[in-house]
Amino acid sequence: MHSSTQHRARRALASVASATVLALLLAGCQASPDAASSAPVEGGTLTYASGDAEPSCLDPHVGGNYPQALLAGQFLDSLVSRDADGEIIPWLATEWSASEDRLSWEFTLRDDVTFTDGTPFNAEAVKVNVEHLKDPATESSTGYLALGKVESVEAVSDTVARFTLSAPDSALLESLSMPWLAIESPAGIARGMEENCQAPIGTGPFIVDEWVKQDHVSLVRNDDYNSPPADAKHDGKAYLEAIEWRFIPDSASRYAALQAGQVDVLDNAQPDTIASAEKTTTLAHLDAPRPGASNRIELNAGAAPFNDPAVREAFIRAVDVNDGIESLFFGSAERSYSPLSSVESAGYSDESLFGTDLDEANTLLDEAGWSEKDADGYRVKDGERLTLDFPVSTNQSIPAEQSLFEQIQATAKQAGFDVQLSLLDLSSWYGVLAENEYDLVSAPYTKVGPDVLRILYHSDGIVPAPSGYFANLSQVSDPQLDDLLTRASEISDNDERSDLYEQAQKIILEGFHILPLYDQQNHFLLSTEVKGTRSMPTVSTPTFYDTWLAGK
Amino acid sequence: MSELDLRTAAASATHVRRVRLSVGEVLASLFVLFLVVATIAPGVLSSIDPNAISAKEAFESPSTDHWFGTDESGRDIYSRVVAGTSTSLLIGISATAIGLTLGLILGVLAGFGGRALDFTVNRVIEVLFAFPGLLLALLVIVIAGPGPVTATIAVGLSTAPGYARIIRGQLISIRSSGYVEAARVLGHGRWRVLTRHILPNALAPLVVLATLGVGQAVVWAAALSYLGLGAQPPAAEWGAMLSAGRTYIGTAWWLTVFPGLMIVLTTIATTVLGRSLTRRTAANA
Repeated sequence: MHSSTQHRARRALASVASATVLALLLAGCQASPDAASSAPVEGGTLTYASGDAEPSCLDPHVGGNYPQALLAGQFLDSLVSRDADGEIIPWLATEWSASEDRLSWEFTLRDDVTFTDGTPFNAEAVKVNVEHLKDPATESSTGYLALGKVESVEAVSDTVARFTLSAPDSALLESLSMPWLAIESPAGIARGMEENCQAPIGTGPFIVDEWVKQDHVSLVRNDDYNSPPADAKHDGKAYLEAIEWRFIPDSASRYAALQAGQVDVLDNAQPDTIASAEKTTTLAHLDAPRPGASNRIELNAGAAPFNDPAVREAFIRAVDVNDGIESLFFGSAERSYSPLSSVESAGYSDESLFGTDLDEANTLLDEAGWSEKDADGYRVKDGERLTLDFPVSTNQSIPAEQSLFEQIQATAKQAGFDVQLSLLDLSSWYGVLAENEYDLVSAPYTKVGPDVLRILYHSDGIVPAPSGYFANLSQVSDPQLDDLLTRASEISDNDERSDLYEQAQKIILEGFHILPLYDQQNHFLLSTEVKGTRSMPTVSTPTFYDTWLAGK
Repeated sequence: MSELDLRTAAASATHVRRVRLSVGEVLASLFVLFLVVATIAPGVLSSIDPNAISAKEAFESPSTDHWFGTDESGRDIYSRVVAGTSTSLLIGISATAIGLTLGLILGVLAGFGGRALDFTVNRVIEVLFAFPGLLLALLVIVIAGPGPVTATIAVGLSTAPGYARIIRGQLISIRSSGYVEAARVLGHGRWRVLTRHILPNALAPLVVLATLGVGQAVVWAAALSYLGLGAQPPAAEWGAMLSAGRTYIGTAWWLTVFPGLMIVLTTIATTVLGRSLTRRTAANA
């Protein structure tokens, strides 16, 4: 903890517009003359510009979205991680084993790790964290859903935690590798939601020092850090002294700040800036498609008009997205025909279902009873217009994607669909979804492994999580699909698991429940002075533990 | 119309004939004419569908085919700018009308309704004044939801206190003028004095204010659309176009420059005309 004088000094410094630049210059001075070589340099502040929504709570247990994961990865560690080959590797847990019936898992924990508030990390801490995630009062959605089969955790000893499951869970390790299930200090959690949201306490390489809302989060180095994941490039504390995590929602300003050297890294890089950055020698591009689901438009089968499969098929036949993806994304996004991300080996694609055919769309709509058109060219049935409400979260859809949605609106109109796009901020968007006032929606969902399909398409996902969010936005309710997804989530054999997921994806695609677009785009631009940054093979968030700043 | 009003109108007509229009006034009038045509008959100015997308023609720079270039979806920016005129102007004019009407009601209540009412209305106006105009507009949108209609009402509401204060001031100064005294002495009723003598004289400067106000309201409406709170896609509205184009400002300047230019020119044109009206009415007074 810092004294208040230091706090004041820091605030005063932060108020000076050039503080960041100054810090960078100082970092540059500290760098040895042979900084161009590969020896990491210690010190300096990295300035990160996030275009994602600013979290309303820094504790990733609460809610559980990607902006939280981006930050939490810097100050929280998880029980396990995943390496570049997709294998689960040790982190805070050194080894694990499942019982014969796979209803009981024992995790052996490191015995030399301490939270940054001095609380020891042990089996009791794991128990507290799981209970925190499962407590409805925490308002968790991602972590809550991922732990759906975990009934309880028992501290067998200080270093052994036993998980008891209600049913076998083939995705347990994948789930535990995610930042939304990262381990926080029990004493930190005990402070209550408000305080814990402001500055969660973990065992990670950095510590949340200050959060100035609508502006930035200051992270300082944890000098006692000793628990990097097994695939990290070095041991001990991080090279960087601090990270200034700024929120710059406007993409053009973000890129301008990077070009001007005011920031070192930005996320949510826009396709046109990726194209222009790739032409420079001072900027590098990190492309880290997210695991889990592809970016897709969900067709809400829970209400008219999409409760009629023919209308869903007609919509998918009517819209044309390929040319738009090519021109709007400047070649940085590849069309997907799968519910799953291309990084998931269990992904199944079927391009043949998504050919554009306006005549076919018109025939389908005529046969479905939407045969009349009104004066504006939109189809009507029983006096009701064929309107599709399409709420778009401006925080979760980049401008290129919003433009793609406008193109979808225009091509769907040719078949007589009245697509009503409304651009909403994140909380209004969640509100509209909770009220079930949508027909089309694009909701990114990141999860490690194909079990994301169970969360998104099992009929249980129509029931809202404690946060009020429900993940099955296409509202598919199919007993056969439920059965496949349940079996896949319990099976231990990898090939059989993949086979069941393939059958499930076929049902989703052939039922015209989704329009897959591309992988969840996750592009970062970095100054070439930023060295050693990689994206975590778990949920593709960048980690700055191995990062160092080279001199000019 | 009152005799007085007719006289003023006649006087200013001879005045216009005598004084030559300046270059600025001619240009401003021509631009306003362009706006009027674009609003009433956009087809005259552009034959291309402003919402017709063509992904293969995206990001084309200005050419003879596309005078102002194409946007990220291959839509013709010139026809979108033309199509956006009606939305922008309609919001501008309606918002000014709402602001003026409300301002008039509040102003008359304050300036003519007696001391207690004057005090109350003034406090209301002061409270409204305490909010920056755009913030007040945002508040209205938060309550009523985004869209062009709410944006119009929001902008109208937030300009009302300004108008109300000016009208009140006018009424108070005219109330104690010689001809109103005379009318009272002649035994005319309160209502007759208000409608025949006070209001016509108080309203003359409002025409000028309204002209200036339309330009301001267009900017505000564009600002709200820029924030995603006004016109919704695919509507071609200048502020919304600016907002959509800003992502590409480094690579495709024409996406923002042309709609931005329209906002600037509209404001300049209405300001030039408003000022020349001010000068002329002042010269006639």
